Amino acid sequence: MLSLSRRQRGHVPAAQSAEASAKKAKPGRLGRQGGALGARLVLLLVLLYLLIPLGATLIFGLSSGRGWGDLSALGAVFSDPDCGQTLLTSLGLALATTLLVVLLLTPTAYQVRLRLPQARPVLESLALLPFAVPPIVLGTGLLQEYSGAAASSPLVALLSLGLVPLLSKLVTTLDIPLVLICAYGVIALPFAYRAIDNSLRAIDVKVLTEAAASLGAGWWRTLLQVILPNIWPGVLTASLLTFSTVMGELTLASLFNSYTFPIYLDMTGQNDPHRAALLAILSFLVTLLCVLGMVPVAGPRPERASLPGQIEGAGLR
Amino acid sequence: MATQALSDQQERLTMRATAAAGGQSGNRHHSGRLASLLTWVTLLPFLLFCLLFEILPVLITIEGSFTNGGSSGLSLASYQRLLAQASNLRAFQNSIALSLVTALIGGLVGAIAAYGLANVRLSWLRKLLISFCSIAANFAGVPLAFAFVATLGVTGFVTVALRTWLHLDLYSLGFSIYQFWGLVLVYIYFQLPLMILVTLPALAGLRPEWREAAINLGASPAQYWQRVALPILWPSLVAGTMLLFANAFGAFATAYALAQGNINLVPILIDFLINGNVTVDFGLGDALAVGMIVVLLVAVAIYTAMLRRASRWQGH
Repeated sequence: MLSLSRRQRGHVPAAQSAEASAKKAKPGRLGRQGGALGARLVLLLVLLYLLIPLGATLIFGLSSGRGWGDLSALGAVFSDPDCGQTLLTSLGLALATTLLVVLLLTPTAYQVRLRLPQARPVLESLALLPFAVPPIVLGTGLLQEYSGAAASSPLVALLSLGLVPLLSKLVTTLDIPLVLICAYGVIALPFAYRAIDNSLRAIDVKVLTEAAASLGAGWWRTLLQVILPNIWPGVLTASLLTFSTVMGELTLASLFNSYTFPIYLDMTGQNDPHRAALLAILSFLVTLLCVLGMVPVAGPRPERASLPGQIEGAGLR
Repeated sequence: MATQALSDQQERLTMRATAAAGGQSGNRHHSGRLASLLTWVTLLPFLLFCLLFEILPVLITIEGSFTNGGSSGLSLASYQRLLAQASNLRAFQNSIALSLVTALIGGLVGAIAAYGLANVRLSWLRKLLISFCSIAANFAGVPLAFAFVATLGVTGFVTVALRTWLHLDLYSLGFSIYQFWGLVLVYIYFQLPLMILVTLPALAGLRPEWREAAINLGASPAQYWQRVALPILWPSLVAGTMLLFANAFGAFATAYALAQGNINLVPILIDFLINGNVTVDFGLGDALAVGMIVVLLVAVAIYTAMLRRASRWQGH
């Protein structure tokens, strides 16, 4: 999901979330024109369009040929060992990726806000690039980089400071889907970076850091005990976006031969559409939980940031 | 004589002071540069990560497209093969058409729905609907494909309901969820909520004062929209539409799960070439991938240009 918002106005220190700013767009008595009514009608139709497939899928999933409300279909889904196993694999990958992204991004975004504003364009471009490089293209490149011809190319070794040969050796010896986790990290990068950077923008990083320093806190202590509690909602949003991206991602898992939940879902669905429907609802509930985790972030505290081009979304199409 | 000595001493003192000051400032400059070098070092983990997993894969793909997947010297062979087969070009045509159609429909309907949403007066309802849009925009890929099979597939709930209650047989009318227009319906499912989420903040940027001023000057609501609101909004709307385009153009999982390769799209073609069971053809795959990057770069360039334009009205 994306949400793109405008820069804070003038000297108003905090930017508003989409929700808070939507309130402002509410025109007063002039809003009761035919236009607004028509727009609300369109909204209603859109909501119907979004709700009907969900309801239809639920009914379809529960009606496995023997009338509605047959819960044995639900039981059959959970009794399949592959279901639980792939769910665990996906959970592990999602947690590892979330950890990687948060650990990489938080100190970097903080440091750039605090001391290296000149590095912002670099970060912005790196966070925008994944839009031009969809998972299927990224996977094509990564496959060649770490296991194809390029893995042994001296030019690639030179460009990567000798890290690519090292990593590709590491990947073949260790049984960790290291490249896959990092690839997930790249896909989640635009959304996670926006979330963290926007919440950094909403606080006064300089003043907080100087205050912490004057009380004798070092860099790490400032980051962990002063900055992090203040940008916690942004970090949480970034984590949940990364998490739900990985939980639903099929393309890279398929390219890297990793048996994850979406792959299982795809394979099951080709044979048994009723079971697939139930699993689709299950996926919907996972997404629901992830988004609900973000709601407090967008909700009560209006100073939560969301800025132009803020993108809270997932790359799991 | 004495005065001369005094002034000499004074001069020397001043000189020393200047030298000291100069030295000190030079020192500070030096340590500043060192500190800034050190702060750059703290970015190193992130920059290395991006180099290894974001930049290099792209460079290797580009290089591979000119060396036939790294198996030969520099040549345009991969591109010649791309252009020689009509199905490759049709894949680009299909992908662009699918993305454009869903981006335009999603962009237009989504923007209007966003305006409707911004006008919902109950705050809890508005919050609920925004959350629901977030979920729906994230509900994509394989689960979405199966949800639509369950809804509009041959035995899908809505298909059967229409047939039994309205005697309307979609599939005998030529509709199929597994073909182009079916895919359009599926893609629109995640495009609509996305556009709503992207447009809401832009709508919030329309200040009520502008509307009041226009009305005070005698503008009709239609004139307000035509002369004030739309000229301010359109860069944001174009940016949103470009985002939808990129979103659809790179989408793979939804189409793959739905049509299992029965529809000819570029991502599906690439997957077939590099993930196929029979042979792997990185050369052509790389060339197709570079083609995708080029198309997407255009979309992203328009997106950023429009965002910059939109930020003009945001108080800067």
